[in-house]
Amino acid sequence: MTKKLDLLDIQGNVIRAYGRFGYPVARYVCLNVRDGAKGREFVGSISKKVTTAVEWGDGPGKMKQPDWTINISFTYQGLKDLGVPTSSLIGFSPEFVSGMKARRDILGDDGPSSPQHWDPIWQRNRETRENDVHILVSINALAGQGLDWLKTAEKNRDQAYKWFQGEVDKTKGGVVILDGHLGDNGEQFKYQDAKIVLDNGKPTSKEHFGYTDGISDPVFEGVPYDENRVKGRGKQIPGGKWAPLATGEFLLGHVDEAMEYPPSPEPVLLSRNGTYMVYRKLHENVATFDRYLEEQGSKFPGGKELLAAKFVGRWRDNGAPLVKAPDAESKAKYDAQFAAADEQGKDDLLSDFTYDDDMSGGKCPFSSHIRRINPRASLEMIHEEAGFTPLGAFLSLFLPPSWLGMFKKAGDKPGSLKVSKGAFNTPGALSDRRRLLRRGLPYGEVKDRTRDDGNHGIIIMMVNADINRQFEFVQQQWINYGNDFKAGNDKEIILGNHSLDDKFPSKAVLQVDPNSDQAPFLLSDIPRLVETRGGEYFFIPSITALHMIARGVVDPT
Amino acid sequence: MSNIAGKAYAMNVITPIRSYLTWVNKLIFWAAVKVPGVLTGLVTLSLIHYARWVIIPKDKFPHLDPSQPKENLNYNYMLFFSNFNGSWDQYVDSFTFAIPGGLDLFWKWNIRYSKSVALTPFHDYIRYNQLETIHYYNAYPLAASNDVKSAKTVKSSLIQFEKDTQTVSDEEFLKLYNGLLRGLQHDLGDMYPTPIVTMSAYQVERRQKWHEGKLAEAGENHGK
Repeated sequence: MTKKLDLLDIQGNVIRAYGRFGYPVARYVCLNVRDGAKGREFVGSISKKVTTAVEWGDGPGKMKQPDWTINISFTYQGLKDLGVPTSSLIGFSPEFVSGMKARRDILGDDGPSSPQHWDPIWQRNRETRENDVHILVSINALAGQGLDWLKTAEKNRDQAYKWFQGEVDKTKGGVVILDGHLGDNGEQFKYQDAKIVLDNGKPTSKEHFGYTDGISDPVFEGVPYDENRVKGRGKQIPGGKWAPLATGEFLLGHVDEAMEYPPSPEPVLLSRNGTYMVYRKLHENVATFDRYLEEQGSKFPGGKELLAAKFVGRWRDNGAPLVKAPDAESKAKYDAQFAAADEQGKDDLLSDFTYDDDMSGGKCPFSSHIRRINPRASLEMIHEEAGFTPLGAFLSLFLPPSWLGMFKKAGDKPGSLKVSKGAFNTPGALSDRRRLLRRGLPYGEVKDRTRDDGNHGIIIMMVNADINRQFEFVQQQWINYGNDFKAGNDKEIILGNHSLDDKFPSKAVLQVDPNSDQAPFLLSDIPRLVETRGGEYFFIPSITALHMIARGVVDPT
Repeated sequence: MSNIAGKAYAMNVITPIRSYLTWVNKLIFWAAVKVPGVLTGLVTLSLIHYARWVIIPKDKFPHLDPSQPKENLNYNYMLFFSNFNGSWDQYVDSFTFAIPGGLDLFWKWNIRYSKSVALTPFHDYIRYNQLETIHYYNAYPLAASNDVKSAKTVKSSLIQFEKDTQTVSDEEFLKLYNGLLRGLQHDLGDMYPTPIVTMSAYQVERRQKWHEGKLAEAGENHGK
């Protein structure tokens, strides 16, 4: 990587998934600005402590890793009420201006995911001015050493929150904290807490269904501490190689994969090194998941755990990708290799793979989570019918078909797909502009696995330069629809907004090796496993832009 | 929008091309169809029903009635006509991501063609030269082209299966049946309405009606 980003100007949560860096606990707070001038003052005081993306450690250009981080982002209304002028506001994307609630039809947030079932704070948002979410502040807290690791993290969080509350109090009502984040017993909180899932008190990187989460986060150009993580996380280039994605896919003011600067508001100082963030609270129906897995797992030839892996494309216990470990036997080998590998080796085992040897989906099904969210180069696929070879096709212009028997090909095996070599400009052409940085942590605890209700799920925050082209596209076309995967209306198994209507039951096909003698497994009547409980679109400004907003000097003229 | 019918989008783009360069384009079109591999990218993009490029000489525009005034054109025109599944963005973007070289080859000689990369000037070029569809009929509004292809595969496979299994043993039947399913494992997707690609009130209301089973009552039998 030759490009160097100005890490001091970029907010830390854009570049770092804090959870991976030892921050197991987070708190998200929503604010409403009642007085523009006081609001700007508040932004000024927060921006002094905002965590940047600068490298941690000793030595030049590095900083000590902080006990807690704080980051700040804004909705469209928030920027407006903080005095950002119309001439700048009109440069923000239409999706950001409309907000997530208004985009529910595009996102498929229907039935139990529709806004009337969202947490009160998200229901009330964009209804009356006093209840609009204007600012989102996120605090992440560092774990301690030894047995008290979690307590230390919680102490760090409380300390950060106390400081933050003090800053809010100083505005004397100019900025207020909104409540309405639902807690365990239906009570409404002034913040949304999130925490890694514990297993007998030990930290895990799992979510509530038991899957290891957050492995394949995209890697893009200019981030010094991601240089060894490109394989499987950047973009796939010819020869099964990988390169970091263009910075402009995730940061405004930088060139993107289409060789241009992503559309951004003016002036450049407002947008450069800033980006958009999609915040979503996703409830997980653990009882339904367990029941469905049990029920289907008893019928599935490979057993329950393999079926669970088929839902996602990775085994639940250690995240082993199905492409590398498609059955119990290969999984045992993978596990031995994994146990013996060093950190880098483990990371490569988890992320460094392509679908080139699994184009028909016999290992990792087309409707599994990871194949849908990030198809890598697998959309460069084709099934060739019987007919002439290319040379035969050419000769058939001049010669009668009966002479050309030796220039005929049999066609691909029914049910198989293969790489359509060289068809696209780059193998990952259809995926590289649909990538999302994923931030966030699980929330709540599952106290009774036999019940869906309760307070447990994931706070997911997705960072991208273009909400419409990246997040909304993936959500609509790849999660809630399947045409690009030759799967008709079949949805992604875990996140899809599976129909609750008996007339339109949801199903998925779990493909098999076309050369085997097996039959594909048909997953029928897939229930809604994940439900949206709220969310919004935010803008994460650079440090420069934060100072400009605070001083009221944003002005494109 | 009338550019959309069911899951399909109709796109017409008409762009001027200098008359003395028209033969180059015609040569390229001819070669593209004949030379193996040139159109692989286009064929691999499965959201496309078809794409057609036609050169209309400046004196060959249709005249439907003697009263229609004769236009005075400086250029020949290239008509691009395509039907595809998905949204305008998805289609145009897939084109530029996947086969930028192919696009440039076909449009290269057109007046003020911007090249397919960078994206925004290309978007602007297409938008500027696109003709809105006034009426668009779709015989299978619930079907994407992949759905139609799959349906044909399923049908012919079933007919063949029926023939093959007239006299076989139970074990042989099971084997053939598994083979049938395996052969069709990429053709069994459900067929329901497309996700909404436009937020126009009309489309949103239609979707609601479809879910409530009321679209037929409104005189619009949407495949139910």
